[in-house]
Amino acid sequence: MTTLTKTEGERAPSGSEAFLSVRDLRVRFSTEDGIVKAVDGLSFDVERGKTLGIVGESGSGKSVTNLTVLGLHNPKTATVEGEIVLDGKELVSATEKEMEKLRGNKVAMIFQDPLTALSPYYTVGRQIAEPFMKHTGASKREAKARAIEMLDKVGIPQPAMRFDDYPHQFSGGMRQRAMIAMALICNPDLLIADEPTTALDVTVQAQILDLLKDLQQEFGSAIVFITHDLGVISKMADDLLVMYSGRAVERGSVREVLRAPQHPYTWGLLSSMPRLGGDTAQALTPIPGSPPSLLNPPSGCPFHPRCGFTSEVGGNRCSTERPELPEGRSAACHLSGEQRSTFFIEQIKPRLG
Amino acid sequence: MKPIRTRTVRAIAVAIAAGSLALTGCSNDSGNGNGKDDSKTKEDAKAQSKPVSYGDVQASNGPAEAVPGAKTGGTINVYQQSDLSHMDPGQIYVSDAGQFANLIHRGLTNFQEDDKGNLTVVGDIATDSGKSSDGGKTWTYTLKDGIKDEDGNVITSADVRHTIERQYSKVIFDGPTYVQTWLSGSDYRKALPDGPYKGKHLPDSVLETPDEKTVVFHFKAPQPDLPQALAMAGYAVVPEKQDTKEKYDKAPASLGPYKIAEYKAGKSLKLVKNDQWDEKTDSVRHQYVDGYNFTNTIDQASQTKRLLADQGEAKNAIQFTDSVDPAQLSTVIGDASAKKRTIQGYQVYVWALSFNLDSATMKDKKIRDAITYAIPNQSMVQADGGRYGGEVAGGLLAPTLPGFDPKYDPFGKLKKPNGDPAKAKQLLEEAGFKKGTKLSYAYSNTPRGQAQMVIIKDALNKLGFDVQAKEIDRATFYEQVGKLKNPYDLYMTGWGQDWPSPSTVITPVYDGDLVADGAPNYSHIDDAKVNELIKKAVTQEPEEAAKTWEEAHHRIVEGVNPSAPVYYSKQLQLYGSNIGGARFSTESSYIDINDLFLKQP
Amino acid sequence: MLQFLIRRLSGAVVIMFLIGAFTFFLFYSIPQDFAQLACGKNCSPENIAVIRENLGLDKPITTQFWEFMMGIVSGRDFPQGHCAAPCLGVSFDSGDFVWDSIMDRFPLTLSLTVGGLVIFLLFGLGTGLLAAWKRGTAVDKIVSGASMVLSSFQIYFLGPIVLGLLVYQTGWFENPKYVPFTDNPGSWFVGMLIPWAVMATIFTAQYTRMARSTMIEQLQEEHVRTARAKGMRQRYVFFRYAWRGSLIPIVTIIGMDLSALLSGAVVTEFTFDLAGIGRLAVEGSLTKDLPLTMGVMLFGAFFILILNIVVDLAYAYIDPRVRLA
Repeated sequence: MTTLTKTEGERAPSGSEAFLSVRDLRVRFSTEDGIVKAVDGLSFDVERGKTLGIVGESGSGKSVTNLTVLGLHNPKTATVEGEIVLDGKELVSATEKEMEKLRGNKVAMIFQDPLTALSPYYTVGRQIAEPFMKHTGASKREAKARAIEMLDKVGIPQPAMRFDDYPHQFSGGMRQRAMIAMALICNPDLLIADEPTTALDVTVQAQILDLLKDLQQEFGSAIVFITHDLGVISKMADDLLVMYSGRAVERGSVREVLRAPQHPYTWGLLSSMPRLGGDTAQALTPIPGSPPSLLNPPSGCPFHPRCGFTSEVGGNRCSTERPELPEGRSAACHLSGEQRSTFFIEQIKPRLG
Repeated sequence: MKPIRTRTVRAIAVAIAAGSLALTGCSNDSGNGNGKDDSKTKEDAKAQSKPVSYGDVQASNGPAEAVPGAKTGGTINVYQQSDLSHMDPGQIYVSDAGQFANLIHRGLTNFQEDDKGNLTVVGDIATDSGKSSDGGKTWTYTLKDGIKDEDGNVITSADVRHTIERQYSKVIFDGPTYVQTWLSGSDYRKALPDGPYKGKHLPDSVLETPDEKTVVFHFKAPQPDLPQALAMAGYAVVPEKQDTKEKYDKAPASLGPYKIAEYKAGKSLKLVKNDQWDEKTDSVRHQYVDGYNFTNTIDQASQTKRLLADQGEAKNAIQFTDSVDPAQLSTVIGDASAKKRTIQGYQVYVWALSFNLDSATMKDKKIRDAITYAIPNQSMVQADGGRYGGEVAGGLLAPTLPGFDPKYDPFGKLKKPNGDPAKAKQLLEEAGFKKGTKLSYAYSNTPRGQAQMVIIKDALNKLGFDVQAKEIDRATFYEQVGKLKNPYDLYMTGWGQDWPSPSTVITPVYDGDLVADGAPNYSHIDDAKVNELIKKAVTQEPEEAAKTWEEAHHRIVEGVNPSAPVYYSKQLQLYGSNIGGARFSTESSYIDINDLFLKQP
Repeated sequence: MLQFLIRRLSGAVVIMFLIGAFTFFLFYSIPQDFAQLACGKNCSPENIAVIRENLGLDKPITTQFWEFMMGIVSGRDFPQGHCAAPCLGVSFDSGDFVWDSIMDRFPLTLSLTVGGLVIFLLFGLGTGLLAAWKRGTAVDKIVSGASMVLSSFQIYFLGPIVLGLLVYQTGWFENPKYVPFTDNPGSWFVGMLIPWAVMATIFTAQYTRMARSTMIEQLQEEHVRTARAKGMRQRYVFFRYAWRGSLIPIVTIIGMDLSALLSGAVVTEFTFDLAGIGRLAVEGSLTKDLPLTMGVMLFGAFFILILNIVVDLAYAYIDPRVRLA
């Protein structure tokens, strides 16, 4: 579980191992107020059978990135630049028809709120079976059998009976299981899970995460797991990408990033998160300020208005120069590597308890 | 003839399609246009006001004089904005139904009109206009041969008796009551409570039918007007065999040139030729067209638009009892081809500002005179269609009545049609009038009522009155102001003759003996001299009576002034280009329904 | 389901009764004499007494009300003859059985409603869906703009213009008129064409706007995005997922419009000189004709209540979350 995400340097000429490879992705929305840079130069790779976690506050661009991978952004308002290569196929320039063939088939998605993400007007069974019929050309009966099988796999008791139920007749956890069944019915190579457990209570959350892990092993899918919850990430992901203001600010294996985070934003995330077994007397420290406007992002390092370490960097580099994210295990910060480990060990770690 | 209570109500109901009113509001005839004033004046009224003559056998014999150029065949379309109020002749008292009655009903007498509008009462189913004896107390009628109802039953004197007697029963409550009252007194219903329906009849001393062809009326007092009263649709014959009582109002049997083929209440009516009608028995009516198709849902504005456009079926269409939409008057008058297709003349109505003589303020004649002087009559006319809708009135009798004097103008309205405030102020001073005296003016919530309210209020406030305008629902206006103890000081009321005799105006409206709740004596005038003159006039022969009536009229206007004369109303109707024989009928004050034909059937 | 129907229908009966009682006593709360109103010209006290007796106004108010309500259930007898159930009494003004008057006018109202409904649903929903499908494009802008302009029109404004153009100026059409469908389907169609077109134009514009906005709203729904994420074709997503969700507000409005039209399209009827339930209602209230007004009110209320139940049934059919109980 500690495999490094392949960085560009280590990567063979053109995505030989990475199943999904995103390069310098830029997504802009034109709104009435101006251009929103929702994703601004993002690159990452995901390998088959592996899980990439993406964390960040809301508005950091994590959901947009993944909707863009599926081509679900609004083509009339969004401009997409860069490269998205899925299993050797370029997606940014793909037609809607080609995308339709991929969606639900090669790439599937699980959404945050299973109540709103399932149509209230059709039976759960029908909604699960639909993509199977569409992508495999199976008959209604075959699709139904397959859907029942999937419901069974995700742990719905008496699946044949529940097939004809409507979403409102399911509990929250069951609905998310049904969503998973729907996503996995065509055996996708890549599963994008967008905060799949946020709307669920903690015990159900754990069950769902276990289920996802089990199914990943069985189907061998790659998973992109989007969350703002570092606790969930530590259980699920192999690699981790921390996003801030439409950019990746830190990447590495889950262990590296969680054990020795290098970016002040990641420190902030960790400090603001309660830990099981941690010192309850230890106060949580929220990150000061609010997420930056995507319409009018701060100059230089987008995190600098909220960062407590800008004075440690010489001059006013933080507000003038945008730090790059080097390849491999790295963070986009003007602090030197030494400063980062010193500050983490001396100032941050003690507070994490 | 009060302006048709239910009629006006319905007419205005149609104004609900209000948007069209607003859209055309600016095209109103404002009276100062550069077009030549072609509206009918009092000169034309002369023909309309000659005394009625009573016709003999010769005049009563059919067929009626042919209309020059008349052709036969085709169907005339009739535009009406609402349904006929009644079809049972006994219930017919208002003009729309009266106009209709001419097509299907026949009575003992009828009005015959020459091309100048002079009227002669002729025998309709009777051989002449009636023979009086016993100083006018007894009237004898003989029936013509060949009078049949639509099913071919011969009409006998028993049918005439039945017609009169059924008016005593509760089946009839909306029609005229002249003849019944003359025969049996004002509580005539007690004389025959169930009418003829339970086998009882009036005694021969009252109504006698010595043989199948003869009917004799015995009155208590001389009734010189009887031939005219009997010409009202209300006294048209209801054959005994055909009488279905309450149901008769929806399906009457015809004696006239047309009969009902199909009737849809509130919507439409189809008349076809009645093959039992014999033109040789009728000196008034023709049967040129094959029938009439009534559509009773077309409002005044649509009627005018359709007839102006003169397209398709509208070429064969007429306005029956509705007039040209006031908002489109100037278009009609300004369009030479449309103007050729109009008929105009005086209506029988006079609009007056009635003073409630029971109100303390109104008891002073000087104040009444002052108000009368102050009223801007011309503006009041403008509010009701301008010079084609009415004309400033000098007195309280309409130009359609015999003996009408166009020079009669005691309040100087001809010179000062917009009132004489100086004179009014002077009179008020003499009366010791206090500024700020409250006056309660009741008006109906029709567009006209509202427009006139503004004028009256403005004129009287300028005199120093404090006018409180009280709006009354159009449906209940006459009910409210007809109450003896109504709380208002003044109100606009209209009344018209039932036949061309002042007796049908002065008696109901100004006779002090007839002051009652719901009666049309709206001012509650009870003047001994007027009452006496009325008593005298009703028993006199027409020539003599005319003088008495004029005396009574002058006494009312100058001596008492219970209602300020405001304006005479006028009629302007349009018809389609294929309609022939169209002319204004003095008798009905509508298009003459008896002479119409289609130029190209 | 059966329980639902029984409950709702019995509720409807109670409401009808209350509406009837309310109208009746409201009418009597105005100080006026109906006999006076029904009296034409000769309002002598004797004549008024006769009218009062003929109209049954000499009886106590509660008795009159009871007889009226019982007439609906079991019929009544009048001098004009027997008035079979559902008897709504005799019009003060015309002396006709109110039920007969209503039934006489209803075919026109029904023709106007059904014909108009077909046109405006077809065009309104069609263009609305087209605009939603092509949202943001020139097609959408043209459709939205046109519907915005048209929906601000009024029948009494558009009607006379169309009449002026097609009837008075050019003579291409005859004046609108109602010919029963059973008499001559062709004349029926031609006679109603202009009223349908004008009425439907205004309704169409409203339905276009509504269909477009609810569809666009539905297309933002997460479950619609899910369906697309499953790889379902755009058209399928549009017509199955988004459309299904749009049906609830659309059916609600259709139900309301339909019951309003069936109880009389007053403005349309007056604009085109047609005699339907709407004209009857206006006549009744302006002439203070109590039985006629009562009859038309109850008739209208009947449709409103029935259509309410139908709409609720439709909800349950469209949305499985809705339960009939």
